[in-house]
Amino acid sequence: MSTKTITFGPSQLALEEPMYFRVETEGEIVVGLDVLAGQVHRGMEHLVMKRNLYQNITLLERLCSLCSNSHPSTFCTAVEEVAGIIIPARAEYLRAIADEIKRISSHLFNCAVIAHITGRGPIFKQAMEVREIMQDTKEAIYGNRMDLAANCIGGVRYDLTPESAGFLSKQMERMKTPLDALLRIYATDPAIRERSEGVGVLSRRNAVDCAVVGPVARASGIDYDVRKKSPYGAYDRLSFTTSVEQSGDVRARIMVRLREAREAVSIIGQCLADMPAGPAWADTLPEIPAGEAIAKSEAPRGELIYYLITDGTDMPVRLKWRVPSYMNWDALKVMVRGERIADIPLIVNSIDPCISCTDR
Amino acid sequence: MIEVLENIAAELNRWTGQEVAVTWRLDRKGVATGWCRLREAACILPAAQAVASMEGRLSMVTAYLPEVAKRTGAREIAYHFDLDGTTLTISIQLPPEGAQVPSLTTIFRNADWNEREFMELYDIQVTGHPDPRRLFLDESIEPAAFERLIPYSTFSNGASSTALWERVIADNARKEAP
Repeated sequence: MSTKTITFGPSQLALEEPMYFRVETEGEIVVGLDVLAGQVHRGMEHLVMKRNLYQNITLLERLCSLCSNSHPSTFCTAVEEVAGIIIPARAEYLRAIADEIKRISSHLFNCAVIAHITGRGPIFKQAMEVREIMQDTKEAIYGNRMDLAANCIGGVRYDLTPESAGFLSKQMERMKTPLDALLRIYATDPAIRERSEGVGVLSRRNAVDCAVVGPVARASGIDYDVRKKSPYGAYDRLSFTTSVEQSGDVRARIMVRLREAREAVSIIGQCLADMPAGPAWADTLPEIPAGEAIAKSEAPRGELIYYLITDGTDMPVRLKWRVPSYMNWDALKVMVRGERIADIPLIVNSIDPCISCTDR
Repeated sequence: MIEVLENIAAELNRWTGQEVAVTWRLDRKGVATGWCRLREAACILPAAQAVASMEGRLSMVTAYLPEVAKRTGAREIAYHFDLDGTTLTISIQLPPEGAQVPSLTTIFRNADWNEREFMELYDIQVTGHPDPRRLFLDESIEPAAFERLIPYSTFSNGASSTALWERVIADNARKEAP
């Protein structure tokens, strides 16, 4: 059979951001894929070297929207590591709360998109309505529905009063039943199962080979979560389980994300219960000396790593980061091979790709 | 823990045939980061094999050319590897002109994008890369973009949708021309 090459863009793939794919097909079967990145390349690694460490907190939060808190919090951790700054215990919990709130919103958004692609409009609506509780929570506590502006070097820029902590706790209570319901629906809905089971499979071996991280890795049987493997902030004192699946298909990735969202609700509850009183940020900061540091975190899409080199001035000598989506794109080549062209949008969205993060 | 860390240094020594000193730092949570420098840039290949033999993963690659490097005459690349939660950074030095490094793609599949990215940003050649195309930057942008003064709007593909659209139209016109 002759091979035909088709170019897919964001509109065909139900993507929010521009990424292009050159897909080789034989009939309706995919035999090859090339990822064409760079459409939203903004030279951010160049920009961060033209701004001081404090300005970069604001810039990095604008790298992308869905994982926007992970960037400034991990960057601040890198600066704190270079300068030997110990953030207050309360700030560690407040950072975890902000990260987990973002995780729930991010995962629900992806699960909603998957329902949309499988033609299950009512489930899309239901998932987005549940997510709306999180959006309202962010708006009430941080004053914004996406970028939380929660982090600063030495701690966080917000605190929870007894009233706002009570509000957050009530909102988390409101999430429990709907999240359990969504888990049941995604696990049993015939249309979603039909489209997602055994589709876009990434075996454990291929997952290791592609070096994927986050829910994509965990759905392929790799039990790796930065919060467990390299604990940071409050995570060494929080009790939670990582969700791991073995089938490596689209369905496994959905289930991992939904369980993680449910687990995040429990983590936020623990933070509210265990968070000590005291300051939420360091009163005075030392000069940032010359040095280098690695900081990592488990962003909604997986391991995020920052590398910072400083020279004693406020300007970074080099600031580099690698987002989880970076390797996950490559895994698509394995996932789509042998699948139908019609399943490409579903498989691409099942890695929950972050394009602004990838291109930078 | 210390045993595991010592084993990493021993493996690096064995594979590279050189004395490789790894400095370990433990943060307050007990998470270790290892730092080492290789005397010869080409040794990054056996060093990567050592990491692979310990079931490590290539996490990120950072190439950089700070102002001070322009004076000292040495640019650097830092390879960051993950060993089950421990990050090992192996740095190599390269000359400012005519820098070459071997590709790690034969050992770590995900070296592909990392190497393509630093090839377009810095004046570094990667030997043996299976697909050395541009990754993010347009072909029209001069190579080694981080080492030149390039107008930001040229450097950034998303800077002007008009410019992008004009290029698409020009491309189409070229294709349609007999």
